[in-house]
Amino acid sequence: MMVASLARGRSRRQLAMPATIVMRAVFAALVALSLVAAIVGGLWRTGMHLPDAAVVARSAGQHAALMLSVLLGTTISLERAVALGRRWAYAAPVLAAVSGLLIVCGLRPEAAALGVVAAVVFVAVNVFLLHRAQDSATAMMVLGALCWLAGNALEALEPGQPAVIAWWFAFPVLTITAERLELTRFLPRRSSAGTLLRTIAAGIVAAAATSVIDPAMGGVAFGAALVLLALWLAAFDIARRTVFAGGVARFMAAALLTGYLWLAVGGLAWLGTALGCPGRDVALHALGLGFIFSMVIGHAPVIVPALAGVRLRFGAWFYAPLLLLHASLACRLFGAIANPEWRTLGAQVNAAAIGLFVATVAGSALAWRRRDVRRDRGRAHAPRARPT
Amino acid sequence: MPERAPRADDASRTTGRAMPEQDALPFPYRGAIECRGALVTALRSVVDPEVALSIVDMGLVYGVAIDAETAVVELTMTTSACPVAHVIVEDVQAALDRVLPEHLAIDVKLVWDPPWTPERMSDGARAFLRR
Repeated sequence: MMVASLARGRSRRQLAMPATIVMRAVFAALVALSLVAAIVGGLWRTGMHLPDAAVVARSAGQHAALMLSVLLGTTISLERAVALGRRWAYAAPVLAAVSGLLIVCGLRPEAAALGVVAAVVFVAVNVFLLHRAQDSATAMMVLGALCWLAGNALEALEPGQPAVIAWWFAFPVLTITAERLELTRFLPRRSSAGTLLRTIAAGIVAAAATSVIDPAMGGVAFGAALVLLALWLAAFDIARRTVFAGGVARFMAAALLTGYLWLAVGGLAWLGTALGCPGRDVALHALGLGFIFSMVIGHAPVIVPALAGVRLRFGAWFYAPLLLLHASLACRLFGAIANPEWRTLGAQVNAAAIGLFVATVAGSALAWRRRDVRRDRGRAHAPRARPT
Repeated sequence: MPERAPRADDASRTTGRAMPEQDALPFPYRGAIECRGALVTALRSVVDPEVALSIVDMGLVYGVAIDAETAVVELTMTTSACPVAHVIVEDVQAALDRVLPEHLAIDVKLVWDPPWTPERMSDGARAFLRR
């Protein structure tokens, strides 16, 4: 029988050694650096007046690489490393985070090479997880990992190749899809819904591959597959039920359901831009911010404790960054049709929403810790003995 | 100080849906009968927020055995590739810490054999997901 046991009374925080704390701090600093550079670069691209520095221009040029490959790559590979529980698996998030530093320092080829190594490790992590779990959701995560590897390899071989973006987006989209596929096990009619979802996921990969050789056809197929995915999620996803629950479950579901709306918008815009229509900002940011980042915010109360070993106190305040993100995105993407200045304003509030999200997580961690200290002081008994 | 009821604002278990308590437990229980009610209530307070259902209704509790010194809980996850498994284990430990006699050590074991299947979910859980 395969068993893991945790004794009560000593949290992961208490077990952390000074060297571990330093390594975690360096890792967090690298992630923060990439996040700030990505946001500053993104704001510069929308026309915001910023200091005329080389690092700003570099960050603007590598905004997608920082946001998608570095930050999402780091976060997702960290999550899978925690799931696997092997030390070597943490090489993927560490290498991805370091590649962000290299990008900011102007070492793009070196960053791309490191990104390939990180993705190779990540694929290996997912293959190990597949060996352990042996289900189609984990298999789809392997596919998502391969998409990250394909995007990073293409960026290393042919920097700036337009299809790199499709591969980088396919990576988080398939990872999210895999998680939703896993949850279809709980639903009635799951076999047909699961088969449909697997077909759509295969379509996303095929469309990303087609984008390399035929950007127009690949773009149309990629956008269409995203729209189909949004329709599937709207029809079958478990968030349709859990939004009627309370607390964290409702918050997660609200973030997911609004994200599905943006996924449909992003898919349509992706399809349209492939046919020559304007709307590239809509295609990229409805998908990147509206769908993917909304998912990140929605999962934060659950996944941050697992990744950072820091518990969060959930409250209604978590809705603030979520609402700000979606409102500012609507302002940015639709308001810009009436007034182009709304794009810049909306992007600035997008950045503020991300900042508010980080502050919310930090504040919730402090709120938990304060309550935890009070609870320990009021404990009726001494810490229990560890089981023998 | 009296035992505290599970609180509703822990990020990992705010969504507890009150399922009717059953006389027949959905998992084997071996131990003092006076611990049973509080233990089941504590386990029901631990929720998988992705599905808004307690670990009991999800059928994740494989069994509880309490002897003179230790309370052992065998727990599984819906997938062995679950990154939040240790968080749920800590939630179970914290929930049991509030209700079990203080001389008992608490040992929560993650068990993967047999693997979890949807058939382990309670009727109430199925009804919620079918709505």
